[in-house]
Amino acid sequence: MEGSSDAVIVARVLRGDVEVFRVLVERYRDRYARYAIHMLGNREDAEEALQDAFTRAYRSLARCEDPERFGAWLFRILINRCRTMGARRGRRARTFVVDEGALLEAAVEHPADRGAWREEIDRALDRLRPEQREAFLLKYVEELGYDEMSRLTGVGVSALKMRVMRACDRLRELLSEVQSA
Amino acid sequence: MSRIARELQKPVRLDSSFDSRVMGAVRKLPKHSRFGLWSRLTTPRSVMVSPLSWGLAAAAVAVFAVMGTVNLAGDVSRTAAPLFSSSAKAQPQRVQFVLVAPDAKKVAVVGDFNGWDASHAAYQAQHRGGGVWSVTAPVPLGHHRYSFVVDDSLWMPDPTAPRATDNDFGVANSAIVVSNQE
Repeated sequence: MEGSSDAVIVARVLRGDVEVFRVLVERYRDRYARYAIHMLGNREDAEEALQDAFTRAYRSLARCEDPERFGAWLFRILINRCRTMGARRGRRARTFVVDEGALLEAAVEHPADRGAWREEIDRALDRLRPEQREAFLLKYVEELGYDEMSRLTGVGVSALKMRVMRACDRLRELLSEVQSA
Repeated sequence: MSRIARELQKPVRLDSSFDSRVMGAVRKLPKHSRFGLWSRLTTPRSVMVSPLSWGLAAAAVAVFAVMGTVNLAGDVSRTAAPLFSSSAKAQPQRVQFVLVAPDAKKVAVVGDFNGWDASHAAYQAQHRGGGVWSVTAPVPLGHHRYSFVVDDSLWMPDPTAPRATDNDFGVANSAIVVSNQE
């Protein structure tokens, strides 16, 4: 089933074949984990949000109107879960994620420098307003177009452009402070 | 910005224990059944049909009736032969599957003979015009269950074939008996 389209897998699950759902989990797990980690700032919360998104998707699978685009539908659920969890955790401290594997593989700069740079990015990201962080991640990290972003978030294109612009300005400001310090 | 994006685009890997946790949670939820899908398929709904498409559909049914007659004759001759040959030389037989689906964009045959895999290349039906889709594909000797998958999402039993209780999912698929033509 690994090579089957989302729609075929969804149809199988709807026919009662629960175990086939694992193919969808494997297909979207890592990509969407990245978004959740950046959005929530720590792996534990991100995994909880992602697991919650998968189980909600399973429960509501019959309401997925376009099974061929299951991935986009799941992403929409995850975005909402991240919003809810982000609001719930509120003042809880973010723990910054450093991908140690990637650091070891990167030989361009001294690992310590790269680690510090990454930590500063995470810290700056954390200081963005949640809606700006969400828009920035969808545009620059997930590389979505504004129309798709609008469908996923329910926010108008003009508002999204404004959020992305403000997020970029704020990131430049925060990171230039670090570099000039 | 591109430097920041590149840093944040680095892949993240979750280990397989995550999959196990999700599947564990999913297994505790009520299992989907085909009855839900079946009820959606059988719920009455309004359908707008233009005179042109209605005419095409009628023509397709006429074509299908002719093809069905030919196939029926073939089926009779096949089922008249021994059903379960123990011959080691037994080869899969070529079987023609036909479905009238004027609005479909894609039709595939799935069954226990292809692992219920709608992406299997040999079982993709071709549009023959007038809403008639067909494919001739190998099926091993014996009893089999099968369905059509329309547009990758809608499962339909063959309206011209007998139904068989599907032990896996508890509802009907279509049934076919393939026997050696020799």
